[in-house]
This record gives sequence, structure tokens and C-alpha cells, in this order.
Amino acid sequence: MKLNVNGRDHDIEVEPEMPLLWVLRDKLSILGPKFGCGIAQCGACTVFLDGEPVRSCSVTVGEVSGAVTTIEGLMPDGRMHPVQQAWIDEQVAQCGYCQAGQIMTAVALLEAIPNPSDEEIDNAMSGNLCRCGTYPRIRAAIKRAASANAGA
Amino acid sequence: MIRRHVYVIGLAAATLCLPTATAGAQDAGLEAWQKIYSVFSHPRCANCHVEDERPRWSGAHYGATRVHGMNVQRGPDGFGNAGMRCVTCHQQDNAAQLHGPPGAHGWHLAPKEMVWWQKSSQEICEQVKDPARNGNRTLEEIATHVRDDGLVAWGWAPGNGREPAPGSAQETYLLLQQWAAAGAPCPAE
Repeated sequence: MKLNVNGRDHDIEVEPEMPLLWVLRDKLSILGPKFGCGIAQCGACTVFLDGEPVRSCSVTVGEVSGAVTTIEGLMPDGRMHPVQQAWIDEQVAQCGYCQAGQIMTAVALLEAIPNPSDEEIDNAMSGNLCRCGTYPRIRAAIKRAASANAGA
Repeated sequence: MIRRHVYVIGLAAATLCLPTATAGAQDAGLEAWQKIYSVFSHPRCANCHVEDERPRWSGAHYGATRVHGMNVQRGPDGFGNAGMRCVTCHQQDNAAQLHGPPGAHGWHLAPKEMVWWQKSSQEICEQVKDPARNGNRTLEEIATHVRDDGLVAWGWAPGNGREPAPGSAQETYLLLQQWAAAGAPCPAE
């Protein structure tokens, strides 16, 4: 089976029923996406499938027909993505476990809505849970990234 | 003279029978509609035919009725909001994991005007017949939509212990045809 992840083609030998997250972490050693709940209720495993955020724990690899982007793919040239930079500037992460998923959803939001309101941020981010409660800093970082994008 | 009597008797019989036949068709139509209503009002269908922004979680195995978790909303196109689209969790097929998200092609909410959630049989019946509120479809187009649409089909095969809608897509298609042929009567309330 062929799988394109972060611009690179991989040949993998797996059952089509295997969740994409399993393939990424266990077969390809791409460890940015995290296992949280396993049933698409927490968002820690969020990756892009053809540019749309998906919960990779609940997508079987057999369903994947397009390109996969993980958080590792946000900086193909080694430069920090503006959302990642905003996360550092706002010191968002506490334990950090959910943050790869948070950042992927934030990137998807900003691509669709470059300058989101608080409500639009909540509407996008409510499916990404953070047990440390970093939500105020997540919101601040998204606004910072939006400002950085506007100024770029 | 005999011929004339036969004619008169025949005319009288026809006059008597005509309303009876129409009432029979009406009854058959209403009977078909009642079965259609049992499908359309079933949680597998009605949970996503809501008039507000939020799909529902309800049905035999769901416990108390709730709005969909995770602040899930209709969004501008019925397919969710930016960053959290329906397809973010609902893929082409049901997730295999217990309590995982169900899936079918094109997961989304029905347009607001096609509201079935907590609507009466008469209200849904009138909505289904109204082109302004049924996607400008003829009754035949509604029947084929019910028979052929992949997301609609999920309602009869929801998987993972979820209670399916009654009957089948084909049975509901035939019921819609019977109902339409009988003049598409709606129940009075």
C-alpha cells in the first residue's frame, strides 16, 4: 500500500483496517500525532488529509486516498510555521500532549478564516481537549498567528 | 326500458362507489405515509434534520437526548465549521471502535428547512411535499433520493449496535411511490 505523508511516498505493508494513527506512529515513526481517546473525541491525533483536519485514530489507512500532513510537515524547510511560532511566543503548552493536535486544528482554522473571532476560534477548537486547560493561551496564540500572517 | 334501468342502476353505483374508492386510496396513502413517518422521525434520520445549528445524539442506545458533543455545529454549508468539519471525525465508513464516530460518504446536516427533529407527522408530511422546503424536488425525486443516497442509506445500516431506521431504503422508496400515487395525503391533526 502506498501512502504519501508530508510530501514523501511510503510503501507500507499493513491491513487496510489499521487506523492511520497506528501507521504513522508504529510503522513510519512519525510521532507528532498522539493517541488520546482512540474514538475521535479528543483531537490529539489530528492530521490533515488533503488539507482537511481529521482524527487519524478514526480513519482507516484503507480510506486514505490523498496526501497526509502531520505536524512534522508544517515546517518542510525547517522554518517554524507561524502558528508554531505563536505557540512558543505565548508559551501555550503545559504538558504538551494535546498540542500537536491543537496546532493542526489552529492551522486549518486560519487557512479558512485568516482573522477569526473568539466564537470562530471556539467553534473550530472545541473538539481538541486540553486537560491542562491551556485554552486561554491557545486563543491568544491563534490571534497572534493571525496578526503575524496579516503583517507578513 | 330494461336497458334504461340498468343504466340508472349503474350510474347510481358509480356515484356511490367513487367517493368510496377515493377514500380507500386516501387510507392507503395515509397508511403508507405513517410508515414513511416512522422512518423520517427515527433518530437515525431526525438527529441531523434539525432547525437549529446542532445535530442531536438520541435514540434507543444513547440514553438521554443530548446535543452533539464537542460544540459541533452546522457551519455555513451544513458540513461543519472551519477547523471542525463533519469529515474531521465522520469518515467514509463507521469507525470500528466501540463508541467511535459513525461514517458515510458526505456526512452533513440536512438544510434547516427540512426539519424533522421533534416535528409531527403532519408537519413533516407538509414539508416533504413543499418544493420550497424539500430542495425543489418532485415526490419521485424524493423517493429516488431516499433509495440511492449514500448518507441516507447509512440510516438503515448504522452499525456498532446503533438502532437502524425501520425497513429499508428500497421499502421506503416503494412506500413513497405508493403515497405519491395515492395523492400524497397528509394526516390531519
